[in-house]
Amino acid sequence: MKKIWKHPEEPQNAKRYWRSVAELDRREDFLKNLGREFPEGDSLNDEERENSRREFLKIMGASVGMMGLASCRRPLVNILPYTQHVEWMVPGKSLLYATTMPQNGGAVPLVVTTHEGRPTHLSGNPLHPLGGGLNSFAQASVLDLYDPERSQKPMGAGKELSWAKANELLAKAIDEAKKSSGASLGIVMGGSTSPTYQRLLGEVKAAFPQIKLFQYEAVGGEGQASANKEVLGADVKSFVKLGSAMRILSLDCDFLGVDPVAGEPISAFTKHRAKTKETTEAEMNRLYVLENRYTLTGGMADHRKPLAASLIPVAAAVIAAQLGDASAKALADTAPASLKEWIAPAVRDLIDNKGKAVVLAGSRYGAEVHALVASINNALGAYGSTIDLLQAPASPELGTFSDLQAAISGGQVKTLISLTPASLYYDAPDAAALAKVVTEKGVKLIHVGTHKNVTARQAALHIPAAHYLEVWGDVFAADGTYSIVQPMIAPLYDGASHVEVLLTLLGRKKLGPVEAAAPAAGSAPAAPAEDAAYTAVRDTFATVAGSLDEKKWNFTLRDGFLKGSAYAKAAAAPNVAAVAGILAKATAVVAPTDDALEVVLVADSSVYDGRYVNNAWLQEAPDPVTKLTWENAAWIGSVTFRRLGLKEGQHVKITVGDISIEIPAIEAPGHVSNSITLPLGYGQIGVGMVSGDRGVNAYALRKQPGTFVLSGAKIEVLATIAELAITQSQNTMEGRAVYREGTIETFNKDVAFAQKTGMDSHIPENISLYKGQVGVKSETNPDGFDYEKQHQWGMSIDLSKCIGCTACIVACQSENNIPVVGKDQVRKGRVMQWIRMDRYFAVPKWGTHKNKDGSVGVDQESTWAEDNATPEQLENAEMVHQPLACQQCESAPCETVCPVNATVHTPDGLNAMAYNRCIGTRYCANNCPYTARRFNWFDYNKRNPLIETSVLGMKVGNLYAGPLGEKREDESIRLQRNPNVTVRMRGVIEKCTYCVQRLESAKILQKQVQRDSKDFRVPTDTIKTACQQSCPAEAIVFGDLADPKSAVVKSKASPRDYQVLKYIGTRPRTSYLARLRNPNKDMPGAENIAVWSNNQF
Amino acid sequence: MGNFFPRWTNWLPLKLAIAVVFIAFGVSVGVAYYFTPKYTRVGYEPTQPVPFSHKIHAGQLALDCRYCHSFVETSSHSNVPTNQTCFNCHGPGKGNIRSNSPKLEMVIKANETGKSIPWVKVHKSPDYVYFNHSAHLNRGVSCVSCHGKINEMEVVRHDQSQSMGWCLDCHRNPEKNLRPLEFVTKLDYQASDLKRDEFYKTLLDKKVPAGEIATTIGGEGAKADSLEQIIALAEKTYGKNVTQTEVGTQIKKHWQIQPPESCTTCHR
Repeated sequence: MKKIWKHPEEPQNAKRYWRSVAELDRREDFLKNLGREFPEGDSLNDEERENSRREFLKIMGASVGMMGLASCRRPLVNILPYTQHVEWMVPGKSLLYATTMPQNGGAVPLVVTTHEGRPTHLSGNPLHPLGGGLNSFAQASVLDLYDPERSQKPMGAGKELSWAKANELLAKAIDEAKKSSGASLGIVMGGSTSPTYQRLLGEVKAAFPQIKLFQYEAVGGEGQASANKEVLGADVKSFVKLGSAMRILSLDCDFLGVDPVAGEPISAFTKHRAKTKETTEAEMNRLYVLENRYTLTGGMADHRKPLAASLIPVAAAVIAAQLGDASAKALADTAPASLKEWIAPAVRDLIDNKGKAVVLAGSRYGAEVHALVASINNALGAYGSTIDLLQAPASPELGTFSDLQAAISGGQVKTLISLTPASLYYDAPDAAALAKVVTEKGVKLIHVGTHKNVTARQAALHIPAAHYLEVWGDVFAADGTYSIVQPMIAPLYDGASHVEVLLTLLGRKKLGPVEAAAPAAGSAPAAPAEDAAYTAVRDTFATVAGSLDEKKWNFTLRDGFLKGSAYAKAAAAPNVAAVAGILAKATAVVAPTDDALEVVLVADSSVYDGRYVNNAWLQEAPDPVTKLTWENAAWIGSVTFRRLGLKEGQHVKITVGDISIEIPAIEAPGHVSNSITLPLGYGQIGVGMVSGDRGVNAYALRKQPGTFVLSGAKIEVLATIAELAITQSQNTMEGRAVYREGTIETFNKDVAFAQKTGMDSHIPENISLYKGQVGVKSETNPDGFDYEKQHQWGMSIDLSKCIGCTACIVACQSENNIPVVGKDQVRKGRVMQWIRMDRYFAVPKWGTHKNKDGSVGVDQESTWAEDNATPEQLENAEMVHQPLACQQCESAPCETVCPVNATVHTPDGLNAMAYNRCIGTRYCANNCPYTARRFNWFDYNKRNPLIETSVLGMKVGNLYAGPLGEKREDESIRLQRNPNVTVRMRGVIEKCTYCVQRLESAKILQKQVQRDSKDFRVPTDTIKTACQQSCPAEAIVFGDLADPKSAVVKSKASPRDYQVLKYIGTRPRTSYLARLRNPNKDMPGAENIAVWSNNQF
Repeated sequence: MGNFFPRWTNWLPLKLAIAVVFIAFGVSVGVAYYFTPKYTRVGYEPTQPVPFSHKIHAGQLALDCRYCHSFVETSSHSNVPTNQTCFNCHGPGKGNIRSNSPKLEMVIKANETGKSIPWVKVHKSPDYVYFNHSAHLNRGVSCVSCHGKINEMEVVRHDQSQSMGWCLDCHRNPEKNLRPLEFVTKLDYQASDLKRDEFYKTLLDKKVPAGEIATTIGGEGAKADSLEQIIALAEKTYGKNVTQTEVGTQIKKHWQIQPPESCTTCHR
């Protein structure tokens, strides 16, 4: 009798993973959609359905008219060759350049893929000392370059100006400033570390001796800067060596997420988490995290305690006091007992690992926290071992935002040039008041920015800024490596770089389009030496490198950085004596209560501080924690959320002082009670179609500069419920043992625990008479995979390393021309991203019962419905991430059901997808156990899903308007497309292909090299998929399974290797390495960490 | 019941049936003729903006294809030359050949304005098809196999159907189109032009065992130890002249030509 294998019941005895609170509670609406690959079409409301019937008739009428006109004549297509040959350019081949993306206080080293002069894809620069993967912001920034709604023309008080007029206004302002030798001129800049910028700023200061310089970044850490200056010294930069730190304690520092520390790349941290054989606690690093909400760092923690952000200074003081800092004692004594209990064993662990430990604090906390942390790190011997102190060259003195406010209201500054990437009238503390004072005092604001945001529209003069891929520049990376910014493309919209604005002030440059003379016949292309910015950067290079050595310069351009140019180590030791003084100035700590909540303002994972608000890839990349797309919401912990009786998405009114905002609320497991987290950057109006008026501006609540934790907030529940686009309960895996983890103890007991977890140890033996090894080509199985002569592609994802950021999703989108579908479609479960980042929460125990003898036992047979986790358990939930794309099954269920053979297997083990053959039955997607396939419900590329069109007076989404809708694909967005990947049309299924275009081109390259010889095996580990390339944690390994030397074979040989849903026999080519945790046995709650795996043995 | 239908309707079903047959026939003939690649592709010969003659350049002057299509061996795309390439011979101050010819007017103008010459595309693969020139040229497939005898065309004409079936024909049986690499751009090449001893000598020089060459010629059991024996065996099998099958099978075997047939080769 044939044995039918069923999915097992999920083990109920210990930890259970769930993806949304609705899933956990088995809410009715969740159960209704569970197991449905495609949420039913009835997500249309009644009105829409009524309209769509009428719509249908109208559309039919229109299409009949258009039928029959299609001609079968061959359309005329032209080939337009270059008239003059372009250096290095081979039409049809991509060209790579090294450059750098400037960031607040640092740089992201990049390699840019360009096709015929169009930058299409970004990846990290592996040669750079700080190179590695990219975060999603850097990855998505290439889309910003082509944003059709970027500011393209100068504006004066909201009206478009010509460049000539703008230059005239600018010249007038400069002349006026010259008269007062700059006394009336102010410049506010961002956190740039560009040496050219600094040098020119110095020259500007020489030309206008009285000029006032300020620095402002919307989410920049002024507290950190001032504490560092006093304790560490002026121009001393700390450089955290994550690779040397075996014990890390983070005080709400999301160093793996949106609050990176200046230091080694993330991969240095994750490399200590992947173990292949028995190990000890000392060999693996350990991360302690205290934070109010879940962050990516919290998800990676071995021990995490939800703690109100207001109490972070107290926690810092407790640690400092335990390490003998007497000045912290008073503050430490106010700490609640539970916090002390949690911190004590953690600090003992840090002390035991002196010289290998480091404490990090969130950059947005005040000076007192950073001063305490400096004192702690000093006591732990971190300076010189886990933190290097580096001496940066002296930079001009910059005023803070408070200084700027004072200068404006005091009337000292009459012309203010804003070069900061922040938007003053939107994100500044008390922005409305600032705008008012600027008008009252008659200050002329000259704004240089990429978008027509509120500051641009209200400024006296707005100058479009160039994208960093369009300009010459340079920047010091976190370790001081001189890194070059070089243009990949001429400015699309004539924007000016910040360096060019400074050059204009110095009278060396005229902004706006270059009046290009037609190149003379046969002459070389115009020499770039005429570009003032280029000259300025070369001059700076000469000072940094010692001389203008052409050879060195060319190497710098090739590599993207100057070798050996890092900062020298700082001479002075940290001045810990200054800590007491800083502490004395600190404001009192107010712990949140039921009536006076705290509001924590955090940078958003999609729009950061608001600067990426018009980037559709980032908007659609789900937040790693809440899985919310396209907008922000208030995150409220389960205890508070349920106390208020809120529903998912219900609006709340949050009042701080005299300001209030209305925002939808979502329940956030792992969030501390009486605390509200508000992601910043949303609610910008008029920036563009992508930005729309989505979300709510949380900056509005902030009045004081440098504060991101507001206390005394009131919350009021409103009746309306918002429709949020959350991806979390779609594509569910129904709680099978998909994610596997264990503690070091479990691992040491049995290194192969992951392979015996769940149903894997119960898979029935193969009793078939068929003797060949399944899937492998042999005499008895001629149709199998040739694991000797042919490439056999495979992937291994290390869950110990994966931090759950969304970089791979965005990288995949950029490489594979994946469309954006818009909020409405995301709500319908039609998101197109090929990789999804599954986020599971887990609570340690499922409730207890009293045994007959009076002892307390863990429920073994509890069922879903009646045994829910308590809100308190939810507050301490664990969070894990698992990226999931097509698993490239060797025995793929999708292939057998395709009626037209559109998805078939290739000899090298790919589950191929021929789009032009697909007729859209969606059988494959229904049959995919991993729900990895995506369907093009509409032609998302040609019909912009973000616009609303009006059909016969009715407003409809553009997608639903059929032929009457607007058929528009922005020319500039098309420039970003990868020419080697088909742009899919409506009605076809698509999915991950292991970047087949890269595999094929590597194979062809090998053929070009070998020609009439024989060796056609692509050299070991020379191909990287887009996700692998982007992964900052280096969690993804891809390669040839038939090549025993390849990294993927080594990775899959790890005892932690397991396949998702192995027991159904799909033989996936992608496998996972189970996650390891390194708990400290002395910590409270240590016994609960990964109890699930302990119970499996 | 009176006569509900008039009398003429008695024949209506038959008339309709005959009409349907005719219409169906007409439609199928129309589709078969007009919608096939044969109609839409082979023979397509658009007028080019510049009356460039491949017959003169590639035929009479015997310029190598790669002089103008210079990246064809390194790139997926066979590039159309820039003006600079034309001007190497025709350009003022360079070769100055016929630089006054009215036929060159557009090239000179393009050089002045920097605007490209709008050549009309003859061979167009659909958007969902990926084709790579370098993969073919580096592995012994000649230009002529897909483009025909360009060196005899005054105006470039679409010579082969270039349909999917046509592609697969060659991918399944590549022997018919393989030739030694040095002849890839020699459009007039015939297998019979090859000297048998030279051809086999190059194979032996590439360290291909003589025995393997022999089995490729004569099948299992055929043996040869030296060049002479191989030539004797080949003469016995293929006759006096070198044949395409002979060259093709040897190249296929010893260069390991295994044209991929999976979907991802061309569709991705």
